[in-house]
Amino acid sequence: MMADFSIWNLLQVKTDLITAHRECSQRRLINSAKWAAELSYSLRHVKVDLQPLASFQEGEVDIQEYDRIILATSYFDLKEYDRAAFFLQDCKSPKGYFLYMYSIYIAEEKRKVDNASDSIGPPDKMENEHLKSLRIKLSKKHAARELDGFCLYLYGVVLKKLDLVKDAMDIFVEALNKEPLHWGTWQELATLITDREMLLSLPLPSHWMKQLFIAQVYIELQLNEDALQIFHNLEKKGIANSTYILSQIAVAYHNMRDVDRAVTAFTELQKMDPCRLENMDIYSNLLYIKEMRPELAHLAHKCCAIDKYRVETCCVIGNYYSLRSQHEKAVLYFQRSLKLNPHYLAAWTLMGHEFMELKNTSAAIQAYRQAIEVNRRDYRAWYGLGQTYEILKMPYYCLYYYRMAQQLRPNDSRMIVALGEAFEKLDKLQEAKKCFWKAQSVGDVEGTALIKLAKLHERLHEDKLAAGAYSEFINQANIQGTFSYEDQSQAYKYLANFYLKNGQLDEAYEAAQKCAEYTENREEVKAILRQIQQERTASVPQKRDLRIDDSCGSITTDQVDQDHTPIRLSPVSCNLRFNTP
Amino acid sequence: MNSMAGERERETEIMHGINLVRLRERVRTYIDKHHYESALFWADKLVSLSDGAVEDVYWYAQTLYLTHQYHRASHLIRSKNLDKTQLSCRFLAAKCHYECKEWQEALNILDLVENNTVSQLAPSNSFSVTRSVNELEKDPHTKELESSINLLRGKVYEAMDNRNLAMECFREALRQDVYCFEAFDFLVNHHMLSAQEEQELIQSLHFTTQCPKEEVEFLKYLYNSRLKKYDKPKDFHIPSPFSCLSGNLDLVVNLAERHYYNCDFRECFNITSRVLEKDPYNSLCLPLHIAVLVELKRSNALFYLAHKLVDMYPDKPVSWFAVGCYYLLIKKNDPTRRYLSKATTLDRLYGPAWLAFGHSFAEENEHDQAMAAYFTASQLMKGCHLPVLYIGLEYGLTNNPKLAERFFTQALSIAPEDPFVLHEMGVIAFTNQEWVQAEHYFKDALAKVQAFSKEVMVEKWEPLLNNLGHTCRKLKKYEEALEYHQQSLVLEPQNPSTYSAIGFVHALMGDNVKAVDYFHKALSIRRDDAFSTTMLGNVIEALMTELSPCKDEPDTIPAFPIATKIDTSSSATESQNGSSSLEDASDIIKEVEMEGAD
Repeated sequence: MMADFSIWNLLQVKTDLITAHRECSQRRLINSAKWAAELSYSLRHVKVDLQPLASFQEGEVDIQEYDRIILATSYFDLKEYDRAAFFLQDCKSPKGYFLYMYSIYIAEEKRKVDNASDSIGPPDKMENEHLKSLRIKLSKKHAARELDGFCLYLYGVVLKKLDLVKDAMDIFVEALNKEPLHWGTWQELATLITDREMLLSLPLPSHWMKQLFIAQVYIELQLNEDALQIFHNLEKKGIANSTYILSQIAVAYHNMRDVDRAVTAFTELQKMDPCRLENMDIYSNLLYIKEMRPELAHLAHKCCAIDKYRVETCCVIGNYYSLRSQHEKAVLYFQRSLKLNPHYLAAWTLMGHEFMELKNTSAAIQAYRQAIEVNRRDYRAWYGLGQTYEILKMPYYCLYYYRMAQQLRPNDSRMIVALGEAFEKLDKLQEAKKCFWKAQSVGDVEGTALIKLAKLHERLHEDKLAAGAYSEFINQANIQGTFSYEDQSQAYKYLANFYLKNGQLDEAYEAAQKCAEYTENREEVKAILRQIQQERTASVPQKRDLRIDDSCGSITTDQVDQDHTPIRLSPVSCNLRFNTP
Repeated sequence: MNSMAGERERETEIMHGINLVRLRERVRTYIDKHHYESALFWADKLVSLSDGAVEDVYWYAQTLYLTHQYHRASHLIRSKNLDKTQLSCRFLAAKCHYECKEWQEALNILDLVENNTVSQLAPSNSFSVTRSVNELEKDPHTKELESSINLLRGKVYEAMDNRNLAMECFREALRQDVYCFEAFDFLVNHHMLSAQEEQELIQSLHFTTQCPKEEVEFLKYLYNSRLKKYDKPKDFHIPSPFSCLSGNLDLVVNLAERHYYNCDFRECFNITSRVLEKDPYNSLCLPLHIAVLVELKRSNALFYLAHKLVDMYPDKPVSWFAVGCYYLLIKKNDPTRRYLSKATTLDRLYGPAWLAFGHSFAEENEHDQAMAAYFTASQLMKGCHLPVLYIGLEYGLTNNPKLAERFFTQALSIAPEDPFVLHEMGVIAFTNQEWVQAEHYFKDALAKVQAFSKEVMVEKWEPLLNNLGHTCRKLKKYEEALEYHQQSLVLEPQNPSTYSAIGFVHALMGDNVKAVDYFHKALSIRRDDAFSTTMLGNVIEALMTELSPCKDEPDTIPAFPIATKIDTSSSATESQNGSSSLEDASDIIKEVEMEGAD
């Protein structure tokens, strides 16, 4: 799958892109047209003969319908979609028919957005009437095999909107086999793919666009390294200055939490294309995580100056306010961005985070749920749902959502730790232990897995395991230089007691000494030290573990209780905007 | 009437130098031109001139009738005893009383003559109107007249609420004259016959004797196209010999009506809109168009149409029916009922209005009143199964499955092949927990639906597929149940109850992952769904106990070596308050030996 880059004959690519742009823009598929043009621009060093490409290659039927189509497209450009549809009614040519159906679709979608209420909530059922009637019309045509690649694309979009995912996927594949040059189809298909096996099993045409498609799917599936591999190969092939590819690379680094490289990529992107707003919301996420306030402020002002009413701008501003802890304002901006485009995933998730900050759990749940509706692969939304249900004390739900998040990002320790905590609350300690262990083995970001594991061992009276885990925790803590006074003091205290119990008085003393550096347990430490002294003098090990166990038990439960309270609400740990390791 | 006209030319009569024939012709011309007053004036003069010739009296009465002077006309005929002697005069007199809504009087006139058969009293004078019965039998004109009399008698009976006799009369009228569309229309439009009876009627008509050979098929086709359209979905093609008729609005409307009963409302709407463009007040098309506007929820279009209709035809029930439907559509039930009862007062026999009247009650869960309305409708439309079906539905809704079933059975006896009725029977069987029986009914209905539209089913059948799914689930045929639910999802995407049904099946099959997924989908659309909420809770719990804690976690946890050196180079861990005044621990670096923990 990786690649047959040999099909990347730049001359062919360039020719294809010009054709694609012409076809798409004639059909008013403006985003695909823009994409083709951008990529074509990045290939400006490739010289092609424009003469045959630019000339009008219209079929005979099209000429008959020429007037209708140009009239309708003019209305379409003026956003008078119903009017466009009216004049296209009787068009017989595939292009005319596509424009007709597309105008109806856009008109209804626009109406739907205009009529949508300000409150966020489940979509109104009646508003899908038009999609149903479009589906019926298109399915009749499809049964008669009268649809071309573009109409199939539209059919697929309608099916997807109606949640008939399986059918939609088949249609998109069919559309691609007929019309591989339409990037929109690739993009729609990309959002439907749930894993690598599915990607490999699709009967897609082997076209150079497929590489870009696969890369995009990899990014969506969080297979960022694979995606980067493809992009780097492409750069070697000579497509170096593409803003599209650069932005995708930046997103990939962002997903990999390689913040610095991502920031570099974004700065470069801004240099190449200073007025670009796409992906700037992701850039703002990065700046937020790095807490680069001035940069974020600058970005926010700049975006605002370019275009206030863009989803990306609203998200950037929302992030800016969030960083300034003005969460109400942040919510306002995320809501505005959703008003502009209710299917804008990032805004839903970010709004969920803001609601969490505002302790408005039910609104947060709504927002996260919408995010999942838009894209089921948004692990942050799943994770957020887990958090909200944790607060609502619905442990099984919480467990389920964390589990979903963890499936989407198998190697992210935060999800696994969260899972472990959820199991712990359900008293499924064995499972919890497994989770914590797994979390530390994939590389713990927050450094809490080990201590939690240790405490669990302690709670289960698995003394040796507990001691092992505590000492490993101390090791790690020392290596990484992360501090958590309570945890460390507890670790030392446990070790002290453990050694004492085992008669290793020196070690016990040592640990107790370390423990004494922390103020909380000073009295207990003194007791331990005293006991060590006694033991040393008596030189007969005495079993005094009863008291120790008591204290341990109480400490453990204290600790757990603390965990129950929404500590995850503290801004840093709540937001999944990747704090730097 | 024509009979007289036919004989007239034999003799030319001249009275007092006035050519009566010419004068009579003048009267007729005026009538043709709708100058009734002039016709009346000259007809009156003719009676005097001819000294009360039967023909002239008849035409005088006719002009009186045309100028709405019904009693005068009747009196004229009866004072001359013509109602007893002349068939046509008898008819006219009765018709006059019918117009005045004096049903009994009209009947009396018709019956009276029947008893003293005309022929014996007939003083056979110069006019052929009064020929002997034997001759009459052969004369097609008289036969037609008899048919008219039967038609009138039927109308009177119907007005007197004696529907059985009325039906007999209409049937008789049609038998006597197969071209008598009015009688046919009464029978069909007022739903007097069931589908089977209609077929039998058509069979029993004397097409071959009464019309020329080439018209037999033509007539049969035209009549058949009017017959019951709703009892089962059918195909509709205009047969090739009559393809020239394809533009005939009547036939086009019939086609639209079939689309309507097949629940293809959009197609029906397309056709009716086209028809109304050509013929804006097509009376056949209007009720259909109104119904389809209601189905498609085009309240604005309906509002405008109703307004126009009320302005133009305030005395037609269809106008007020439209208004009532508009209010029904926007769910304002009080005005709905007000305007629908206005429609029914204008024409008591207006079935659709009664049904809509019932719907307006049903909408508010006023089951008793709804049923009352449906009962009235069922009495008015004996041959229509819809009122009975609705009564059954209401009984079903009021938890009375026994009675419901009885009415459904009755509906089924009227329309044995209607998938809707079969579906309801299935529902009743389902609620009685007779799963096999229910499956049988549902599959039967599905077969009927699919027989007509194989590739594209209409959304209306989504409940049928879902119910089949439920039944299959009860019968533990889970795969099949899923199949049906998926199909219904195609017809009606994003239906929360379908999602939760699919989730339930998955849960029963033990596929908790998918079950959770579908319950989530259901709840995302309908948040207060108690069933899905409970199920989701249970299924998630089950799922989480059966699932491994996280993806590819170890089976057993390897232990960390406890043998650690306590790395105290971390005296970076200054205590928070900086008062680390205890003994310096930095030199306590020791290897601690421990038993290898395993």
